[in-house]
Amino acid sequence: MKALEATGLRKSYGDRVALEGVSLSVDRGEIVGLLGPNGAGKTTTLSILATLLEPDSGSVRVAGLSPQNDREALRRKLGYVPQAIALYPTLSALQNLELFARIHGAGKRQAAAASAHTLEAVGLAPRAHDSVSILSGGMRRRLNLACAMVHQPEILLLDEPTVGVDPQSREQILATVRSAAESGAAIVYSTHYMEEIERICGRALLIDYGRVVAQGTVAELITLGGRQPRMEIAFQEAPMAGWSAGIDGVSEVPHARSDGKIDLELASLTQVSEILERIRGAGGRVIEFNVHSPSLSDAFIALTGHALREDGGGGR
Amino acid sequence: MLRAAWLIFLNEFRLLTKDRVGLAMLILAPVVIIAVAGFSLGNIYGVRPAVNAYDLPIVDQDHGSAARAIIAALSRNPAVHLESAQSVAGARALVGRRSRVPLAIVIPAGVTAALKAGRPAKLVLYVDPIKRIEVAAIELRLSRMCAEITARAQDNARTRISAANAELRVRLERLAALATTARSDAEHFRHASLSRRDAAQRELDARLRSAMAALAAQTRAAAERSAAAANSELERELAPRRDAMNAVRAYLAALQASERDFKRWLANLRAAAGSHSADIPPPPAFPRPPTPAQLAVLSKPIEISPPATALPEPALPNLSLASVPIPSLAIPDFDAEFKPLLAAPAPTLPGALGWTELPAGRGPAQANAFDQYVPGFGVTFLLIGMMMGISLGLIDERDWGTLARLRAAGAPFAGTLLGKLMARFVIGLMQMALLFAVGRWMFAISLGSEPLMLLIPSAAIAFAAAAFGLIIACIARTHDSVMPFGAVVSMAMSAIGGCWWPIDFEPGWMRAFAQWLPTTWTMQSFNDLMIRNLPGSAIVWPTLATVGLGIVYLIVGIVAASWIYD
Repeated sequence: MKALEATGLRKSYGDRVALEGVSLSVDRGEIVGLLGPNGAGKTTTLSILATLLEPDSGSVRVAGLSPQNDREALRRKLGYVPQAIALYPTLSALQNLELFARIHGAGKRQAAAASAHTLEAVGLAPRAHDSVSILSGGMRRRLNLACAMVHQPEILLLDEPTVGVDPQSREQILATVRSAAESGAAIVYSTHYMEEIERICGRALLIDYGRVVAQGTVAELITLGGRQPRMEIAFQEAPMAGWSAGIDGVSEVPHARSDGKIDLELASLTQVSEILERIRGAGGRVIEFNVHSPSLSDAFIALTGHALREDGGGGR
Repeated sequence: MLRAAWLIFLNEFRLLTKDRVGLAMLILAPVVIIAVAGFSLGNIYGVRPAVNAYDLPIVDQDHGSAARAIIAALSRNPAVHLESAQSVAGARALVGRRSRVPLAIVIPAGVTAALKAGRPAKLVLYVDPIKRIEVAAIELRLSRMCAEITARAQDNARTRISAANAELRVRLERLAALATTARSDAEHFRHASLSRRDAAQRELDARLRSAMAALAAQTRAAAERSAAAANSELERELAPRRDAMNAVRAYLAALQASERDFKRWLANLRAAAGSHSADIPPPPAFPRPPTPAQLAVLSKPIEISPPATALPEPALPNLSLASVPIPSLAIPDFDAEFKPLLAAPAPTLPGALGWTELPAGRGPAQANAFDQYVPGFGVTFLLIGMMMGISLGLIDERDWGTLARLRAAGAPFAGTLLGKLMARFVIGLMQMALLFAVGRWMFAISLGSEPLMLLIPSAAIAFAAAAFGLIIACIARTHDSVMPFGAVVSMAMSAIGGCWWPIDFEPGWMRAFAQWLPTTWTMQSFNDLMIRNLPGSAIVWPTLATVGLGIVYLIVGIVAASWIYD
């Protein structure tokens, strides 16, 4: 039995369709990424999985429980990390944790112990009694995550848990999520950070305009994107024209850049040294270059036809 | 759900304790406003006016006793602070130019004289039309003062008239008594004179009679002496004759005895003669001797008494006292003259028609302004706190995401609402209780005869306000709209419901509308308990009305909030 299974989720707000036939399943110990631009439908999907929204159609089962029949029991098995920092700003970190632990059904002592343990896990034990309002953004994000984990849920739903955090907090959050998965939690991780998907998710769903564009492992998705390695070069002195002629599979990406750099698409990463030699031979002087392997982002662009956007789309 | 409600209830308190400023403002804000309103408007109610007495310039052009009485009366009134002005122009200039000078008073010359002469007199008030309310409040006090001064003057006049009447009456009574005494003395004198005259007359008569009797006695004695002398002479002359007569009388007596002896002899003879007695001729008859009495007269001594009537009584001379006739004194009938005068009611001044305040109910006639403002502004801030607390709390939680998070964590929305409402209800109740305690301590408000009863309308309005907060949260769904909307609604409900002023100030349509507001019934309850001093039973229906309206708000609020926030 899947820890979480959603089939054919559809949700619309008036004429606007937010989700159209989204299906996913998550096993225990698995982290499934939901990748998509803002408004793609990730939050709507997670809200339906968290039983906060009723889908127009489709079904959800969490640990075999249906939200229609076993909503309260189902909710106790869930840990939901909303995209916003859903904390009481005037309460301390510990008080926030204890409250949600108790709301999830823990007794007073049990809640205190679980809260202390969870604070330790997210690296906030020294700040346990500090008011949320004086914590840094990264700390709040970690606490936001901790509040969803304090009752050790079977299923963890994370909606962009690392938005706007510092690298240290991001690492802490990712480590905590991985740890939860290793403890057997089924995790749905929504983000528009490709890197995070690549780092922690065994599988990912690419969502755009409320539809699942592609799904699979990261490698599978990159392969599905079909993109080549790229090289970005900045010149002190540009080489003579036609310097790249005769190098197999190397072509300049035809778009104008105002910063004097060029983008090359390579057939293989082994061509980098040859390219640099050619430039030098053509009188050019390179002051900086970057080499990009094909990434999930590339795959996303390839699959959706556009880069990740910051807004728009059909999601909520 | 109840567990979630309880946890949310506790969390609300925890959230409130974190907001120390908000917590302090729950009490501080109403106390500040109550103090401001109470001290500002309390003067109109007449409570604690000394702290903000109005400055009243006064010009005394009369300098009489009435003017002094007016100034003294105003000086004693703690609502005003008199400031003597030298001229009318100076006093007028102060009105409006300086704060807290709503009017100036001029006591025109001649006021005292007019009043003493029984003519009406008027003070002149120069008023600032902008300060009509203050002017009206002071004019009311002035009216009362004038009435009191007039009444006092009338009382004094009445007292003087009464004293004069009493003195006149005493004098009249004394005069009447003197007159009566004089009349009595005169009568007595007259009677005494008459009596003395009669006595003199009687004495004169007696003396005359005595003199006459003495004279008669002397005359009789002289006559008796003459008679005795005559008798003596006569005796001397008659003595031999009486002896002769006695001898005759003795002879006659012997003759008479011889006759009797003869008759006895004859009888014996006849007896001895027997049958021949008839033959014995009758003896010759003896002449009848004089009777002894006739014979005694012969021997009776001759006494010559003076003839009783021989001496005529001397006639009394008609000597009447030629006394001066005592004339009747022409003393009037004082009783007839004075009694109607004394019986007639003493003339007095007509009484002044005034009025006195008595409480219609069991409470005092005059209330402490804070008795109105503490519950009134308490309810106002309760409404603001509850409406803002509930609606902003919901909006905050929605914006923070905690509302969704709580639901996702298994707290039913109804439980969350219930917890929030319960917390706010308890906070509101505590707020009201604290306000009453502070009001009692700082402003000496009345808590009525059953202070604990105040918790009932407090609880009812806390419940209704909390429920209405849900409706606010459903109508105004952002911070920016809740603040003005909640403030306007809570203030309008407070004002129309009689929290800021007596509801009877309002026009009929507004009062009709007020029946649908919980504030109206709550204020009625507070007024009944605190000011009218009614028992707890008086607030049953108002409380039911408040709770009923709260239930309606709650149902509407829960339905709307579930639709909007759930």
